[in-house]
Amino acid sequence: MPKGGPGKGMGNVIYVQPEKCTGCRTCELTCSFMHTGEFDPTRSRIAVVGFEKTGFFFPAVCQQCDPAPCMEVCPVGAISRSEATGAMEVNHEVCIRCKMCMIACPFGATFYDAKDNQIIKCDLCGGDPECVKNCGSKALTFSKSSPAVSLKRRAAAAKIKEVLEEVR
Amino acid sequence: MKIMIDEREVMAYPGEAILEVCRRENIFIPTLCYHPAFKGQGACRMCMVEIIDSRGQRKLVASCTYPVSDGLKVITSSEKIRKIRKTLAMLIAGRAQASPFAQKMAGEYEVKPFFFKGFENEKCILCRLCVNACEEMGSAVLAAVSRGVDKRIETPYAEGAEECIGCKACAEICPTGAIEVKEENGQRIIWHKTFDLIKCESCGREFATPEQIRFIEDKTGRKIEKFLCEGCRKRQTAEVIKEFSV
Ligand code: SF4
Ligand code: SF4
Ligand code: FES
Repeated sequence: MPKGGPGKGMGNVIYVQPEKCTGCRTCELTCSFMHTGEFDPTRSRIAVVGFEKTGFFFPAVCQQCDPAPCMEVCPVGAISRSEATGAMEVNHEVCIRCKMCMIACPFGATFYDAKDNQIIKCDLCGGDPECVKNCGSKALTFSKSSPAVSLKRRAAAAKIKEVLEEVR
Repeated sequence: MKIMIDEREVMAYPGEAILEVCRRENIFIPTLCYHPAFKGQGACRMCMVEIIDSRGQRKLVASCTYPVSDGLKVITSSEKIRKIRKTLAMLIAGRAQASPFAQKMAGEYEVKPFFFKGFENEKCILCRLCVNACEEMGSAVLAAVSRGVDKRIETPYAEGAEECIGCKACAEICPTGAIEVKEENGQRIIWHKTFDLIKCESCGREFATPEQIRFIEDKTGRKIEKFLCEGCRKRQTAEVIKEFSV
């Protein structure tokens, strides 16, 4: 994970608390429905990784890195950070579908929607993520990384950030 | 600035081509060699429109390359334009005889293709989108070679090129599926070059060429230590986080 951390400067980030996730995959269905009008997990921009034996589930979703590897590798500048939300967004008109961003994303959070022939990734739903609103167990939260956020959560976020940095 | 398209006044910005303004305004103009990722090429002529100059003279121009100017008057559909597009559709379908894309287009323009001899297996319509894509990738190994009816897209000397990274961006952008990509026995073969695909260290799925990995390392300035496919990269993140949260 890059310096600056998730959603640096823009404020709003999706926090994942995997220990609360029950593996219900409502986020996947919500995401695909909101973006495509269909309930199809293969067209979702968030994907729940499950470890059935231990009952551990982790919703993998774009961390809106800064700098973002997907943006760095895109040969045509089709990926850019939204000024309004801080989300890395794909311009489907410009994208030439070389899929370099998919190979480059350290979290595997850039997806390919075969039906629309489009590269898809979390766009934070324009600033009000639907998956967060529909997560019954509150494993997903969306908050401003401002001083108003509790210290505890910030400590947790920092820890996760550290862990992700290691992954990269 | 303001320009007139089919008697409608629209906003345009210096440096824009007519086609770009039309796309923004949802005015449909057919194109073959245009892609928003690249500059207009003016190669296929499908996007022809008529412009009217200050003396009232009409002129045919390729809208994907013709720059806007203040007060420009554009006509996007006329008898002349329709005729040109029909002729083009006929010629293209006559060349790209093995391309369903080209044949369908001929049908849409209600023309009977004139089938050229020796093009029975041809799919390429010479739109050069692959050439542009390869250039953007930084490889630039593709070009149109020869002239006239022998014109075709090739690598230098019709051999595997050193700069080719096997990314398939060319095949991906080709509207007619004319670029052959073979993937078998852990290898990808494209443009006379064979790549040994990298296997995911976790699940074994082949997911990239070594040259693609190098491309990413160069662009991001970071070394990729472990080769994992997209799915296993998610899993790896989950595993690390699992470790930390128990
Ligand atoms: S697939 Fe599209 S968005 Fe991704 S790197 Fe290639 S051109 Fe950019
Ligand atoms: S596969 Fe090779 S020829 Fe095709 S776009 Fe990539 S680098 Fe260029
Ligand atoms: S789209 Fe303008 S010449 Fe091909």
